[in-house]
Amino acid sequence: MTVNASETGTEASTHSTGEIALEVDSLVKQFGGLTAVEDLSFEVYNQEILGFIGPNGAGKSTTFNCIFGTYKPTSGAVTFNDEDVTGLAPYRMVRKGMARTFQTFRPLPDRDVVSNVSLSMASNKLFTLSGLFGGTQEEAIEVCRRVGLGDDLYKTPDELPHAGMIRLELARAIATDPELLLVDEPFAGLSDNEIESLSELFQDLREEGMTFIVVDHNMRGLLDLIDRAIVINFGSLIAEGLPSEITQDETVQEAYLGGEEI
Amino acid sequence: MSDQMSLLGHLRRKLTITGLVGTPIRYYVAVLFFIGLAVAPSTGQMDVLNMLTWTASFYFIMWVISWDFVVGYTGQVSFGHTLFFAAGGYTTAILNIDHSVDPAIGIVAGTIVAALAGLLYAIPALRLEGHYLALFTLLPPLILLRLFRMFRDTTGGSRGLPNPEPLIEAGSFSANAEANYYLSLVLLILIFAIAWVITRSDTGKIFTAIRESEDAVESAGLNPAKYKLFAMVFSAMLGGFAGAVFVHTPSGSASPSQLLELAVIIEILIASIVGGFGTITGGVLGGFLVYWGRDWLRNADQTIPVIDVPMADIDILLFYGALLVLLYVLAEGILPWWYRQVDRVLTRVRGEEPSAVADGGQTWLKRQIGSLQTRYDENREENTGRFEDRRKK
Repeated sequence: MTVNASETGTEASTHSTGEIALEVDSLVKQFGGLTAVEDLSFEVYNQEILGFIGPNGAGKSTTFNCIFGTYKPTSGAVTFNDEDVTGLAPYRMVRKGMARTFQTFRPLPDRDVVSNVSLSMASNKLFTLSGLFGGTQEEAIEVCRRVGLGDDLYKTPDELPHAGMIRLELARAIATDPELLLVDEPFAGLSDNEIESLSELFQDLREEGMTFIVVDHNMRGLLDLIDRAIVINFGSLIAEGLPSEITQDETVQEAYLGGEEI
Repeated sequence: MSDQMSLLGHLRRKLTITGLVGTPIRYYVAVLFFIGLAVAPSTGQMDVLNMLTWTASFYFIMWVISWDFVVGYTGQVSFGHTLFFAAGGYTTAILNIDHSVDPAIGIVAGTIVAALAGLLYAIPALRLEGHYLALFTLLPPLILLRLFRMFRDTTGGSRGLPNPEPLIEAGSFSANAEANYYLSLVLLILIFAIAWVITRSDTGKIFTAIRESEDAVESAGLNPAKYKLFAMVFSAMLGGFAGAVFVHTPSGSASPSQLLELAVIIEILIASIVGGFGTITGGVLGGFLVYWGRDWLRNADQTIPVIDVPMADIDILLFYGALLVLLYVLAEGILPWWYRQVDRVLTRVRGEEPSAVADGGQTWLKRQIGSLQTRYDENREENTGRFEDRRKK
């Protein structure tokens, strides 16, 4: 079953409110002669957890970077909360309510976990006395506890295990108070237990109103978490639907394992 | 608004007995140090020549602060800060000598020209990093030096412009030296205070975050370009301002050897690193040590045994040699090293396990933070829910 985007585009999850949070319309990204993303359209509903799946090199990260403003799309539009945000700089996206984590972590190795997170709460005025007297880190501490770093508040990033680094990425993103969170390969290298506890965190945050796009090339763990999935390969949408539909999809199976059962 | 309130509240808390006792000793050391400099001329121990040298050293330290402000914090490496000093100094000197512009106005003009020179580095620095940026910034002062030699009628060539009008005058030569000493000390304290406050505020934390990861800064909703531009241009203004005032004091002149030559930036770099890179305070300490170390060697009347050469004859050789050793044995800088030693002693005095000190001596600091955390835990009841509230907003 190959699902066309327009056929299932209206299918909202049980959790979502049915309002569109993010809409990607005919997105194209070319690097020189290479087309990394080709005419990709999809939307994400409020309070939905959308899985964004595809084999390595399918264009997932490029799409992510186009949405978040790291790359300017060659053509196409990104609409966030009914506002055209195509090609805005990442820091502007963050102020509009979008946040992301990096698959290859971007910690600040020179400071402890709390200070890593409190960066997201720093004053953006150049001349400020904020932070001069130690500042208040309570909110950052609360975010750290929230993501399960409560025991590691004063460790430096290099003292954290792999799972801790993922949580640190999440904490920094959550501390910007986002409505939409783009999560890049959160489950890579995690044990089943860790995947489960991270999934619970995502679901809790969703209950509180957050919307997620979770990228992974590995479907393990992801299918239990997401409400809906879109699958891309070679920069184009090849399938869209419920997790159960996706796994049955022949195109997806072919793209992934040369036709083997997933 | 809320900044002022927090400042007042903080001062009120600090100015109590417990507040004063709780303030780290290094703050008192810094205050005593500046007070010492302020009373030094009235002790009679300082002759006029000495006072002029001290005055010159203040400007050297202002330049070290200016350099550390951008390089030590944001990691935008500049080997060409002399461009800013020269932009400030030569602008006001030329305006004064050729166009009879008042030094006060010339200094403002010099600061503005230095800011523009700052943009010359700041904009490429948005694209260039590390070694490339360092190399890029190395060239403009060299180019400027050649230009100055080409237009020697205006710039005085390699001799420079020795006699612009003084900014302040006070009758006799010694009274004049003293007035300039105090003017320069006030400027040093001012520039130190500005740099200290900015680097200790959120802005400083964002500066260092840029050095660590621009992606992280951007993901936190902050524009790295804004902070990088600000750091470089503001640094240029600080350095250019100091250079501009310097040429109007009896201690300085608009000449390549004082403002522009490679040796100037090398000494600034070394002072900053020897004192403690990215600390501002370390720059002040390193600035004094390097400036006075070099001065002491230049005037030393001892003779080196065995080879039987007067020290003063090979002062520069000895100076660079000593710095080479110092950089090797104390790469982290004197001040960070010293804090670590104090930490170690404090930890031992308080009877903690010595093994806990091994992790870079942060135990004491961490424990301070830990006690804050305990206090926080007590209030946790009240604070749970805060996150949810914030999210609902």
